[in-house]
Amino acid sequence: MPDQASDSFWKSRRFEQAVFAPVVEADAIRAAVLVFIGYYLGTRIGFALTFQPHPISVFWPPNSVLLAALLLTPPRIWWFLLLAAFPAHLIAELQSQVPPLMVVCWFVSNCSEALIGAGLTRYLLRGPVRFDTLRGVATFCLCAGFLGPFLSSFIDAGFVALNGWGHGSYLNNWRARFFSNVLSALTLTPAIITWFNFRPTQWKRISSGHALEGSVLLLGLVIASTVTLYNARTNPDPVLFYAPLPFLLWAVFRFEARATSAAILIVTFLAIWSSTHGHGPFINQSAEINARSIQMFLIVMTVPVMLLAAGIQERRKAEERFAEAFRSSPDPMSIIRQKDGVLIDVNDHWMKTFGYERSETIGRSLLDLNLSLSEGGQVQQMIGFGRTEPIRDLDCEARAKTGEFRQVSLSADAVEIGNEPCLVVVIRDITDRKKAEEMSRDLAHASRLATIGELSASIAHEINQPLGAILSNADAAELLLESESPPLDEVRRILADIRNDDLRASEIIRHIRLLTRKQVMQVEVLDLTQVAGEVVRLMEAEARSRNVSICTNFAAAPTAIFGDRVHLQQVLMNLILNGMEAMTDTPESERRLLVRTVANGQQRVQVSVSDSGRGIPPEKLSRLFESFFTTKETGMGLGLAIARSIIDAHHGRISAENNSDGGATFQFDLPLSNQSVVS
Amino acid sequence: MTSSVSEKPIVHVVDDDDSLRKAVTRLLRAAGYDVRAYGSAGEFALTERDNKRPGCVLLDVRMPGPSGLDLQEALAREDEPLPVIFLTAYGDIPTTVRAMKAGAVDFLTKPIKRDALLNAVRTALARDLQWHTSHEQRRDLHIRFEKLTARERDVFELVVAGRLNKQIAAELGMAERTVKAHRSQVMAKMQATTLAELVHLADKMRHDGL
Repeated sequence: MPDQASDSFWKSRRFEQAVFAPVVEADAIRAAVLVFIGYYLGTRIGFALTFQPHPISVFWPPNSVLLAALLLTPPRIWWFLLLAAFPAHLIAELQSQVPPLMVVCWFVSNCSEALIGAGLTRYLLRGPVRFDTLRGVATFCLCAGFLGPFLSSFIDAGFVALNGWGHGSYLNNWRARFFSNVLSALTLTPAIITWFNFRPTQWKRISSGHALEGSVLLLGLVIASTVTLYNARTNPDPVLFYAPLPFLLWAVFRFEARATSAAILIVTFLAIWSSTHGHGPFINQSAEINARSIQMFLIVMTVPVMLLAAGIQERRKAEERFAEAFRSSPDPMSIIRQKDGVLIDVNDHWMKTFGYERSETIGRSLLDLNLSLSEGGQVQQMIGFGRTEPIRDLDCEARAKTGEFRQVSLSADAVEIGNEPCLVVVIRDITDRKKAEEMSRDLAHASRLATIGELSASIAHEINQPLGAILSNADAAELLLESESPPLDEVRRILADIRNDDLRASEIIRHIRLLTRKQVMQVEVLDLTQVAGEVVRLMEAEARSRNVSICTNFAAAPTAIFGDRVHLQQVLMNLILNGMEAMTDTPESERRLLVRTVANGQQRVQVSVSDSGRGIPPEKLSRLFESFFTTKETGMGLGLAIARSIIDAHHGRISAENNSDGGATFQFDLPLSNQSVVS
Repeated sequence: MTSSVSEKPIVHVVDDDDSLRKAVTRLLRAAGYDVRAYGSAGEFALTERDNKRPGCVLLDVRMPGPSGLDLQEALAREDEPLPVIFLTAYGDIPTTVRAMKAGAVDFLTKPIKRDALLNAVRTALARDLQWHTSHEQRRDLHIRFEKLTARERDVFELVVAGRLNKQIAAELGMAERTVKAHRSQVMAKMQATTLAELVHLADKMRHDGL
């Protein structure tokens, strides 16, 4: 609905704004003039198409003109249009020697019909009616085509009875008016509305072939209708009634609702005109029965044809939208026949990604092209074995024409196109993203190694302590055992100490190994405070050698988060090292580093590292987390950039600020996990 | 040679790492030394020590509070400094150089082999003992010299300079006999039996700056 609806919406919107002004604006006056002319002409035509001698109108256009006007305009100016129709009604009706009171009564019933039909239709459709959607046509047929005439005809017949006009019974009057109004509402109103929305510029978009086809259709329709409805004798072969139908269907399938409604109107007009002039199949009974027959024939033909036109249009729109999406999709897309994997269509991006021309792909199978979308055989299952469950974001490799493999993320859906099971395959080229991921992983790893390098003295210190103790203990035990009465209890204690020191050394090595391992993110539920504690312990030796005292202030509440232990340790190591380096020029007694964890309400946990160093120059604060930006003499400027990318990947925020009492504070916060840590 | 150093030597182990300190202490005890262990430089500095007792300090470099190098400096300012052996878990070159320049006996890294440790301790104790010995001798000599009168000192100076009694008498304006008497007093007080011995003692004193 969106494209045309918004178009007419804006049109009506402009209209409404124009009418909203205290004085009725030019657009409303123009509409009123058109209503006046249309209503007058409609009445004249209605009079012309009556069955003689007993005047029964088969087709009553003025009500349909009014209905179309109300459907085309906002309710705000309806009163004005009805006012414009009134003089036309008077002028036309008073020519036919009808008592003035009856004329006024008819105007009331005519207005009621238009108001009921237009009001209900607008209400149910929440806006202007459209004849290219099934919902629009069905609502129009029900409200404006049926309910409006149905209800207003009671009023009309009542007025006739009250005025003592004519000879028919109440029911007959009701029936005559009902059918003639249904017919004109169904045939004339759609034609007026669709053609009223037609802009002259649209002619230019019609190709000459299409225009020629339209002319042939028009000619055929007129000939067929003339032959069947004008030339046919009384009691004709019933097959003849269907002669106009192929042309109507032709209009339905090849043209829009506008052409269909015009074709219906032509058939309607020819049928009624022939009958009222004593030609065609509908003249062998009484005037009333003839009128009824012709009305039933036309109504029964019109409704399905209009619905069919709307349905086809809707489907065509959907297909056009799909085709448009397919063509302009920024991702490579292809349609593949399910039974043999033959490519039915590919879009431009598909060709660009894989380097094929359209002519090289259409009609060839995936196997021929050796695209090798082989990961897990899921595509093969869909193609060879009729699997219909969709594939979503399957990471696999696809081979381009050059032989280069591209990393792609593939989604496929089974659809039916032209009764043939097909796959719509959407591919996202993630080669660059994968490369970037790999590079950032390498970079993070390199940065970790650099950090470890900076810490190598501390690490050697940490490991050599237990190793030294082990060796000296072993030597001592050996010496003790050489004595005459070896103190075995002491030797046993020595052995226990050796075991403890050995475990201590291996624990340190395990930590380092975890930090230096190159790996993808492994997220798990972690206690952030525990992670911070581990890092502080690991950094204690380094802090000692730099004469920095580390204090901790850890949250008492659980600080469970969802994250990667090693990456978060790396961030903390970086922040702590930075803090210690910032204090190189600080007097030793004042080198203090505070590591804190705080649970921030129910949502987040914050970790901060505060130093008492020289602080950060204010002009550099904003750029701190950029790559290759550094305030240190030595350093690549990657530590904080990687720290930020790690925190980003954890859906956290990292920031830095200067303390009011000197030094700087780096902090990051992460969303709390609702799960607790599994130990 | 006389010496007042008679007590068993003691090894002071200063290291903040509990298990390493314990292990080294055990080893040195098993090797027959008296050992006293301290968890920090401060603890060592605050503990009363018997200065007469020979010994050495086995010192860690990195410790909370004052470092091993700080302690070495403080020890060097003492009257009778104890020899220092450094024992570190990670020795970078600048630290090693600084420690050795400041007179460390050795700079060892953990884990330390038994023989290397015991050798270093032996060397340090020998150095301490030697230092103690020469220190005693110097003090002794000084005491002897102090006993000489002003005249005797003048005579002493000229005797060791190789002057004859006659020359000394002329130079100092005294009788040759008086010179002889002074000279025998000098020999007695300085506990020298021959002229050569006296010259040697004088050399030693000159060397020590007395």
